[in-house]
Amino acid sequence: MHRLFLALFFFLAGIINLTQAADFSVISAGVQPKMVKVYGAGGLRGLEGYQSGFLISDQGHILTVWSYVLDTDYITVTLDDGRKFEGEIVGADPRLEVAVLKIDTDGLEHFKLGASVGVKPGARILAFSNLFKIATGDEPSSVLHGIVAATTPLNARRGAFKTTYKGTVHILDAITNNPGAAGGALTTRNGELAGLLGKELRNSQNGTWLNYAVPISELIPAIEDIIAGRTRPRSFDEDVIRPDEPHTLKTLGIRMVPDVLAKTPPFVDSVAASSEAEKQGIRPDDLILYINDRRVDSCATLRSELELIDQIDNVILVVQRGDELVEIVLQGE
Amino acid sequence: MKSTITIMYKLVAALLGLLVLSNTFVNAQDDLLEREEKALQAAVMKASPSVIQLELVGGLESQQLGPVSGLAVTTDGFILASAAMIPANITSILATTPSGKRAAAKVISHDYSRNLVLLKVNTEETYPLLEAIPKDEIIVGQWSIALGRTFSKEFTNQSVGIISASNRVWGKAIQSDAKISPANYGGPLIDIHGRVFGVLTPLTPNPQGGQSDGSEWYDSGIGFAVPIADIIPYLEKLKKGDSLYPGRLGISLTSGNIYDLPAEVVAVQPKSPARDAGLQKGDTIFELAGKPVTRQSELRHILGAHYAGDTINIKVTRDDEIVTAELTLAQDLEPYEHPFLGILPDRNYDQQGVLVRHVYPNSVAEQAGLKPGDIISQLNETPIKDHNQLRVELANFEPSDEVQLHYSRDGQITPINVLLSRITSELPVLQAHPLPVAPAPANNLATGLVEIKLPEEANECHAIIPTNYRTDVPHGLVVWLHAPGDVNDDILKQQWATLAAKYHLIVLAPKAADDNRWQPTEIEFIRKTMDNIINTYNIDRNRIVSFGRQAGGAMSLILGFSQRDLVRGVIPVDAPFPLRAGISPNDPAERLAVHAILVKGSPVSNAIGNAIKALEAAKYPVSRTELESPGKITDELRESLTQWIDSLDRI
Repeated sequence: MHRLFLALFFFLAGIINLTQAADFSVISAGVQPKMVKVYGAGGLRGLEGYQSGFLISDQGHILTVWSYVLDTDYITVTLDDGRKFEGEIVGADPRLEVAVLKIDTDGLEHFKLGASVGVKPGARILAFSNLFKIATGDEPSSVLHGIVAATTPLNARRGAFKTTYKGTVHILDAITNNPGAAGGALTTRNGELAGLLGKELRNSQNGTWLNYAVPISELIPAIEDIIAGRTRPRSFDEDVIRPDEPHTLKTLGIRMVPDVLAKTPPFVDSVAASSEAEKQGIRPDDLILYINDRRVDSCATLRSELELIDQIDNVILVVQRGDELVEIVLQGE
Repeated sequence: MKSTITIMYKLVAALLGLLVLSNTFVNAQDDLLEREEKALQAAVMKASPSVIQLELVGGLESQQLGPVSGLAVTTDGFILASAAMIPANITSILATTPSGKRAAAKVISHDYSRNLVLLKVNTEETYPLLEAIPKDEIIVGQWSIALGRTFSKEFTNQSVGIISASNRVWGKAIQSDAKISPANYGGPLIDIHGRVFGVLTPLTPNPQGGQSDGSEWYDSGIGFAVPIADIIPYLEKLKKGDSLYPGRLGISLTSGNIYDLPAEVVAVQPKSPARDAGLQKGDTIFELAGKPVTRQSELRHILGAHYAGDTINIKVTRDDEIVTAELTLAQDLEPYEHPFLGILPDRNYDQQGVLVRHVYPNSVAEQAGLKPGDIISQLNETPIKDHNQLRVELANFEPSDEVQLHYSRDGQITPINVLLSRITSELPVLQAHPLPVAPAPANNLATGLVEIKLPEEANECHAIIPTNYRTDVPHGLVVWLHAPGDVNDDILKQQWATLAAKYHLIVLAPKAADDNRWQPTEIEFIRKTMDNIINTYNIDRNRIVSFGRQAGGAMSLILGFSQRDLVRGVIPVDAPFPLRAGISPNDPAERLAVHAILVKGSPVSNAIGNAIKALEAAKYPVSRTELESPGKITDELRESLTQWIDSLDRI
């Protein structure tokens, strides 16, 4: 009898605790374990070497923004509980300016991408990030509260923003445009994942800074491709089938910058006169990002990937030209 | 046993009760958040159709122009927008119409007091209007939503905050902590019912010589909206194409802290609303437009909310009597020109009256027979205490007014009538002012090259204090503003040490945070260094001068024209008048003279010539020197300029 009552007592007390969950502080506490602090390259010309990210799988996958911070061999990821891990870049989509990192651990609390939600203008939101690197070690990320000010395609104002991302963004009525906030999580007031906080962007038309987040729904296909390895260069796989007569840079008429580094960025140095490359409009200084939907991060990768494409097949390149991404199809023979 | 069970039952019952309560509480909180969000959204939905997107095509400045927002204020297409967002000489403005089309709009009139512009859209369509919130219903702390239509034509962008204050920027605006920026300037600030508080626009209480319009405060937690209730009474006027201007009274008040001093009139400008209404020097204004005035700042608040053309009541006390008058605020006052007698006062004289130190050749004083050593004791009916009083009293007159002076020579008092002339800015030839006869009092203040370090300021600043500094001698103050990259205190000391000692001057040399460029915002720092020196040393407020070369010269002009309560003279060298600074009207009480130094063949010489013409038209005393070689000021010229500074207390 006693035991029954006690059980009932604790059960009810437990329910009371659960019902407090609508409080912002409880919601924040629920999100914090999913947030990480990302440290990488920086320090030059006042650029900060840190940004934010959040866990998106129990395998240690982390979603963050693709930026110069990740342009290093040593990325450190600090979890909410203060544990530090080396982050490995699983892949990135420079077109969407996102990257997925992985740390060697599992079973962590994380956001489920499939459970992410949309938010409408006027909806209350919370923005979690490590802006200004204010939190270190096991200190929780900072939480900003605001509303969605507007939802709009970034390309609605042509030339206004220097970014390759041209899709839909949520403009936020919260000052998220600060060093380190990029890669943070935008959630609803109930802590459901809604977006990825964007990089620092200035509106060149009126000089104001933009506070924005990219809706998760815009990113899911790219993230899935990255995690599944579909954007990984094929040449990384050993048992790939090689054509007898593949394309080469020479046959296409492209000359790359001298390959002097371990990972020389694949910039076009010059284009041969009356070549296919010239005909299709490749220009010196174009940065080759994709070849047949596979990510290219160096001149060496570009050469190896070309070796896998038969001369009779088309080569689809995505190049970055200034702030624009241009897709160019080079015809096979 | 039974009792234990009873207790347990009671406990469980209590817990169950608590559970229900707690659920109700959480649901209520949840419900409140949700209802609040819905209410805010409903307000946005209701107000959005009246928020217009304006696309700008071409303009004077070659910058890219993004779309800006506007608010429909009549059904037939009159739109209020922020003047800050619509450049002058805009080629074309396209406005959204209720059906989502574009139609041409043109600028009809401006509100120059509150940074707004009225546009008319050329359309047959009918715009929905928002209900205006009466001013007395605006409560600090209530929800406010800033709306713009810049990101998209289809929907508005919103920012939620509260009303932070009403009656801001000298009574011109209400303040909100919503994010107010070029993304919504021109749009409305609405309440949770979708009614409109006002139109968003950048404003600043201290337009430092016009260098700032308040837009640098965007998204900072402080933003302004002009109450729509204040604009509605003027809408008909604006629609007719008549712009609104700040209203002016034409009076000068006692110099000093405006938050402390009563509104005592020291000068009434001739041909001004105040003069027409019969206001006199010595009157103390205690009520304006039905509102009480105990301090000068309150007068500015009331005046700030009114426009030129408004007729308002004014009540003053005059010799223990109350005088009431009605006056119509003026847009432009006829430029005031200071009268001139042609004397310099002896600053050592500590008795009643003004001891004449110097008589200007060919001046009315000389023609009337005044000589150094004479003591002026009375102007018309007013006994004169000292030279400062004589200067203030004369500010109630204009050139070619006739006044009567009493002066004593060898103990005999003589009345003379003089026809006042115009004040000059010519470089005079002067002997240095004699030192007091009394022995120098003890001085424990630092002399020589002294560092001035202000808390919380990154900028450096030095001052050259003459080695013969005496606490009983009022010193002139020269604020030297260096040319880009030209900072060398040793050279400065070489140039000035002897002159400073001879002519009793302190030279203050604040430096730009970046040696190579001045930021207009650094005026505030310069002002602080001046206040610091004034509070420490004996500074003669009649002889404070800003002096600078090239960009420093432009800064000296901005300083002079923005700090009218301090600066009495500006010497810009090879520097054009900064376009945005604007020439504020000449002021009877706050005198300002300019001596421009031009360099032969300099690319800015033409611009300086035009600026001098504009200053002359505004009746400022202006003179000029032209240098042969670029930027080289000879010791001879520097001494001559020092004498000019020494003569700024001329009467």
